[in-house]
Amino acid sequence: MKRRKHEGPVVARENDMFEITLSTDDRSTLLRFVDQLSEILAMGPDDARLRRLFPTAYHENPEHDAEYQGYMRDELTQSRAASIAVVKEVLESTELITASQLHAFMTVLNNLRLVLGTLLDVGEDDFEDDIDENDPSFGQWQLYGYLGWLLEWTISALSGEDN
Amino acid sequence: MIFIAPSGSQQTEVAEPSVDIATDEVVDLQVPWVVIVWNDPINLMSYVSFVLQKLFGYPKAKADILMMDVHEKGRAVVSNGPREKAEIDVFRLHEHGLWATMQQDT
Repeated sequence: MKRRKHEGPVVARENDMFEITLSTDDRSTLLRFVDQLSEILAMGPDDARLRRLFPTAYHENPEHDAEYQGYMRDELTQSRAASIAVVKEVLESTELITASQLHAFMTVLNNLRLVLGTLLDVGEDDFEDDIDENDPSFGQWQLYGYLGWLLEWTISALSGEDN
Repeated sequence: MIFIAPSGSQQTEVAEPSVDIATDEVVDLQVPWVVIVWNDPINLMSYVSFVLQKLFGYPKAKADILMMDVHEKGRAVVSNGPREKAEIDVFRLHEHGLWATMQQDT
């Protein structure tokens, strides 16, 4: 995956539409990771990799939390599946997209980053650029950095910031 | 290559939010609930600020202050109100991958 230095991968166009200018290769790579995210989500929210996607709501009251999770977890899973469906359409087409589609793209990128960051056990002082290329998790760190880069551009575009 | 779905998933230590507020079983229905966002090393600062702007309609300056509180102090109260509203806010924050919890105000 190449990082363009001068042009952002997410560009605001006329009429509140946006263009994702990623290459076909990048799109298909991202689609594979999105499919993997779907697979993990299908295993259910108790999978350790998903702990950041299904956090505690009542940190002081386990009873209230169990009740809350009982009626909210399915909804959260469905909401994630809906965003993933939108993102798959977005990545499979090169047409301009709406702010709402780009917002779904942003949340799914963040979901991927959270799962990958959990696997890598990322801490406050960890940066992808510090990882040695012989490190067994080097590829995962590269992807983690790529997702953060793409996420920053997506946020900039949605914020209407001039890049 | 599989990046995020290895067969043997690693178990990571789950650090629960540490709370220094004494829990009191007596619940006062009049006391509003507060929604707290906790610091997490993974979420981007720009992302946290953007989500707070989108979900709560906060101006960027306010969202940035709350985000910096989360980052530097470990947590920030981002909204408050009746329990039902707080639950919806927590749900929307969870939808966006933020580590949000709720408790009754003290």
